[in-house]
Amino acid sequence: MKIPDYLNKVRQIKITKKDLITFEEEVKKYYEDAKIKAPVHLSKGNEKEIIEIFQYVHPGDWVFSSWRNHYHALLHDLDPELLMEDIIDGRSMSTNSIDPKFYSSSIVAGIIPIAVGAAYSLKMKKSERRVWCFIGDMTFETGIFYESYKYVKNFNLPLQFVVEDNDLSTNTPTAKTWGGIKREVPDDVIYYSYERGYPHHGTGNWVLF
Amino acid sequence: MGYKDELVRSMEWLAAKDNTIFIGQSVKYSGNAIFNTLKTVSNDKKIEVPVSEELQMGLSTGLALEGYVPITCYPRFDFLILACNQLVNHLDKIDYMSKGMMKPRIIIRTSIGAKKPLDGGIQHTQDHTEAFRHLLTDINVVLLNEPNEIFPAFELAYEREDAQSTLIIEWGDYYNEK
Repeated sequence: MKIPDYLNKVRQIKITKKDLITFEEEVKKYYEDAKIKAPVHLSKGNEKEIIEIFQYVHPGDWVFSSWRNHYHALLHDLDPELLMEDIIDGRSMSTNSIDPKFYSSSIVAGIIPIAVGAAYSLKMKKSERRVWCFIGDMTFETGIFYESYKYVKNFNLPLQFVVEDNDLSTNTPTAKTWGGIKREVPDDVIYYSYERGYPHHGTGNWVLF
Repeated sequence: MGYKDELVRSMEWLAAKDNTIFIGQSVKYSGNAIFNTLKTVSNDKKIEVPVSEELQMGLSTGLALEGYVPITCYPRFDFLILACNQLVNHLDKIDYMSKGMMKPRIIIRTSIGAKKPLDGGIQHTQDHTEAFRHLLTDINVVLLNEPNEIFPAFELAYEREDAQSTLIIEWGDYYNEK
C-alpha cells in the first residue's frame, strides 16, 4: 500500500488491531444470539492497512464509507457504545454521525457523489480539512467512480479515495465479472487488497431468528 | 406578474441569500428555459456541471451537508430520472439514516417540457409528478400551476423549519401562456 506524498500523519491511533477484532466479535455474538434483526457486514483481515491509513485522517475530516463500516467508524472516533447500540438497533449498514463527520450508505457507489459535494464545499470555504471516501473493488469499477474521480482531479478537490479490494461484491468476483480486466490504480488513489475474514453478511454460522 | 417573471423574482430572492448556490447544466450558459430565469443571478453563485445527473444531485447533497442551500436545476423531468439513485436512496432517506443529525436542504428545480410551439417529444415532455409523490418519503413535491404559487413555494422551500428538501416542478408551456 502506497500513501501519496501530499498526505501527512495527523492523528495518533490508539485503537489497536485487537480492539477492532474484539468489537466485531462482540457484534458477532449479538448477531448469533439473534439480538440484531438486520444484516451485519463484519470486517476482518484489513486491520493493519486501515489503522495505518487513519493516521492520515484528521479528526475534523469527513469520512464516507459503505455497508461494511464498523472499522472506519471506530477509527474516526465514533463512540463505540453508541455504535454498538446502532448496530443492535439494525443500523449497521448506515452508520452516520455529524460530529465526527461520518456518512455511510448501503447503496453501491452512492456515497461518492455526496463525498464530491462535501469536498467542493470545503474547497469553497478554503478549509484545510479533507474528505475521505472508502470504496470497494466493485465500486472502483463503476461509471460513477470514473465521473467523480475525473471531477475531483480536474477541480483539485480535497477528496482522497481509498480502495479496499477483497475482489468480491457480495460473493460475485469483481475481476471475473468484468472479464478479468482491471485498470491501473492512479497514484493519487490509496489501494490495498486483503482477504475477507467474514462472509458478505452475517457470521457464517446458522442463526435462528 | 406572469409565470416566468415570478420564477425570475424567486431566483433573485434566493440569490440574495449568502448560503445559496445554483447548480446544473445550463445555469451559466444558455440552452434551456430555466437558464432564462437565472440571467440576473451572478455567475459567482452558479456551478455549471457537465452532463452527470447523479453526480450533480450527490454534489448538491454534499454541499448541503456543509451548510449550503443548493438550487439544483434539471432542465427537464426526463433528465431528473437519471439522478434518482441520489434523490430516492440518499437525499430522501438521509434524515432517517442519520437519526435526524443530517438535514441537507436542497431545492430541486425541474420542468415538464413544453409542447408548444414545438413538441419536444416523448423523451422531453414527461410528467412524473405523481410518480415522485409516491416515490419520495421526506422530500416535498410541488407542482407550480399558477404564477401566484411560485414565490411562496420557493420561499417555503428555503425557510421551512424542518429543513426538508423540496422538488419544485414547472410547466415549460406556462412560461409563455401564463
